Amino acid sequence: MRLLALAFVAMAALPWAATAAAEPEVTVTLDAAPSEARVGETIRLEVRVRARGGRIQDLKLDDLKKYPELEIISHQTVRPMQFSFGFGSGVQMESSLANVYMLQPTVAGTYEFAPAVARVDGRTYRSAPLTLVVRPGPGGIDGSSDLAEAPDATVGSELTGARYDARAFLRTVVEPDEVYIGQQVNVTVYLYTRLRLSPQSVVPSKPSMDGLWVHEDPITRLEFQTVPVRGTNYRAYVIQRSAAFPQRSGELTIGPPKVTFDVGGGSLFDAPQRIQRVGVPVTVNVEPLPQPGPANAVAGRYAIRAWLDRTTANTGDAVTLRVDATGLGNLQDLRIDLPPIVGVRALQPAIRDKQWSEHGKLSGTRSWEWILIAETPGEHTVPPIDLPFFDPDAEEYGSASTAALKFTASGAAKPSQQAIEPVDSRPKPRAATFGPIRMYSALTRGETPVRERGWFPWLLAFPPAMFILVMLGAGFARRREQRSATAGAVQRQLVRSAQNALEANDPRSFYDRIVASITHALDSRLGEAVGGLPHATLRTRLAAEGFDGDLVQRLINELEGADFARFAASGVSKDEMQRCLQRTAAIIERIQRSRRSA
Amino acid sequence: MIRAWYLALALLFVSAGTEAQGPGQASGGRSLTEIFETANVAASRGDHPGAISNYLELTEAGVHDPDVYFNLATSFAQSGDYARAILNYERTLTLRPNDDQASENLRDAEKALEEQRAEAEGEATIQRSSSISNAVYGGLSENTLAYALLAANLLFFLALAWASLGRQRNRWFYSQLIAAAVILLFSALGLGVKAGLLRDGPRAVTLDDQLILREGPDPRAQVRGEARSGDRGEIVDRDRDFVKLRLVSGLEGWTPASGVGLIDPDHGVH
Repeated sequence: MRLLALAFVAMAALPWAATAAAEPEVTVTLDAAPSEARVGETIRLEVRVRARGGRIQDLKLDDLKKYPELEIISHQTVRPMQFSFGFGSGVQMESSLANVYMLQPTVAGTYEFAPAVARVDGRTYRSAPLTLVVRPGPGGIDGSSDLAEAPDATVGSELTGARYDARAFLRTVVEPDEVYIGQQVNVTVYLYTRLRLSPQSVVPSKPSMDGLWVHEDPITRLEFQTVPVRGTNYRAYVIQRSAAFPQRSGELTIGPPKVTFDVGGGSLFDAPQRIQRVGVPVTVNVEPLPQPGPANAVAGRYAIRAWLDRTTANTGDAVTLRVDATGLGNLQDLRIDLPPIVGVRALQPAIRDKQWSEHGKLSGTRSWEWILIAETPGEHTVPPIDLPFFDPDAEEYGSASTAALKFTASGAAKPSQQAIEPVDSRPKPRAATFGPIRMYSALTRGETPVRERGWFPWLLAFPPAMFILVMLGAGFARRREQRSATAGAVQRQLVRSAQNALEANDPRSFYDRIVASITHALDSRLGEAVGGLPHATLRTRLAAEGFDGDLVQRLINELEGADFARFAASGVSKDEMQRCLQRTAAIIERIQRSRRSA
Repeated sequence: MIRAWYLALALLFVSAGTEAQGPGQASGGRSLTEIFETANVAASRGDHPGAISNYLELTEAGVHDPDVYFNLATSFAQSGDYARAILNYERTLTLRPNDDQASENLRDAEKALEEQRAEAEGEATIQRSSSISNAVYGGLSENTLAYALLAANLLFFLALAWASLGRQRNRWFYSQLIAAAVILLFSALGLGVKAGLLRDGPRAVTLDDQLILREGPDPRAQVRGEARSGDRGEIVDRDRDFVKLRLVSGLEGWTPASGVGLIDPDHGVH
């Protein structure tokens, strides 16, 4: 019977042992559906490992990071686990792990994936390689964003305005780089990268632009375009765009731009990495406007018009003259001087600007409004106003001018005043409104304010410091007084009770009080209990504290006498007790008056 | 003992007062008194440029006297330079806050500047700094507040010590204690205000009209706005020949230091 049971156990254990010893059965697959797609279409890429009888440790597809052109729309990890029960082979565990990526290719091309790698029970298993083919999208676009401006083609050409870096670099593009003074220069800073960056993390820093009047064109949305550089596709983001207008001739330098951004961070296990890049400075050659030409010409192309808000007014009333100059160029450079008008006073103009960008060129309208006050009746004429300019595209001078405008003032003439106030006229003195000068002065030199003098903080700190010292002293004295008052009261109580014992002719009690009284006086004086000390030790202790030798001797004698008398009290006379009380009072007084040497 | 302290304190104040007095010192061959008299004669004759140059010679020689600043301001005002007049009247009032004539002339100079600008442009405003602290402490000099602080400090702690030591106390005593505490707080706060603890920088007046305020200390930096002559502000930063001016309106920008005058003479005079 026992043999039968052993055989059954051995048969049952056999499949377990066999399972433990067997190699796990592992399958790694790498599939894409579809394996050929157009730009913009969605591809489902699945990498999966199935293991029967083993534990899955890892599953990697490294090549996915190589291709930023394949934008990951979503990523899902699937880990189903399956147990199978078999009578013959025991319990078997089957597990699998799958990463499913939904990809959207942005650039046409062929993308080669090396085999996916899985680790099961410490062993490595590989899938088959995979090739994805992405064809251009409908209409021939290759996936580039058509919203972003395209930087210059850089295939095979020298990369200007940039310091090349395989992962990411900045490039400053200046168009044109040879201009006339006041002509618009478009400055664009691109970030070229093969990294998958987080657009929200991109923080650009402005390059310095000394000698240029800059009009920023803010980037509200980060767009990119795919650009091949040295045979590799990069995403080129426009991170800064501005229209700059040189204010002086010569070689102007636009400083190196800077940017920081984060890459990665797509999942909990992928911490973002902060990347910083600095570009290179670029130069712009600025030439003065060609000569000969009008002295006050500005670069740009403008049209000008002028009108009056009314053509008739009473003498002394205001008429508004408005002049609008509209065109391409930097409005800040525009200056118009109103020629003098006889019989009319013109106030300083109000100037308003309105600017916009049109096909990368800064355009706008500058408006001047003059208040004209007719001071004499009759017809007044606003002469034509000229605005000379130099058109850099046509490389020729032009001029815009207004027509002469007339208005009529009617009514009595106002008192004659200066027709046009010169811009730089000195104001009229108003001597009458200011008091007489002072004929006496102490001629004091700059004196140091009281608060800055050396003694001031000391004097300021003195009262509180003194207050603190006084309070500390008072507190100390009060505490000492309290302590001595308490000690004195006890002392008096002891002496009184000794007196009572004397009157009651109770020597034992009397001498007890005498000893207690002396001991209490010593305790209070020394601040510690000395009652339990032998007399020899007490003598040494008091000597060390600096007590007078005679006092110590008397005190010890009195204590010894009292001790002796306590135990042989029957023979003590009342007179002797009276003398003892007097001696004790004298000793206590000396103890209280004595000072410790230390 | 207390008498001895009073005596020591009185001696200290007397010595502090006398050390501030200084006789006119010679400057470039002429004594300060001669320069002052020459300036006064020029001002009386209506030679404002001559008067201004002599008064400026005094200030450059280290004279920071309220009467000299008053005369300088008046000469500027009479020659039509109201911004510099405002600056120097402000300096006069800083050194002698209760100078009624200087206050009146300052208001006149501001009014004249406003009228001058309104005449040219239709309307005008001048940015003045008007704060509660100015209203409260405007009439008190910094030194007055410092002495008041010392006296109130002494009285307060004496009274406090007296009270703490359990001496005789009555209603009069407590009113003295409270008064000393109030004066102590008032003078401490006033001294802080005068010392500029509530400001970000020294006070300034814009001297040039339509002074351009830029984003950086560079003539090519972008324009942020403009200040008008006579506007008040604070210098919150400096960089070489540029200062960062913060106007009362809050507008802030870099501008050449030459276009701005510092009110407190201790910070330097333009």
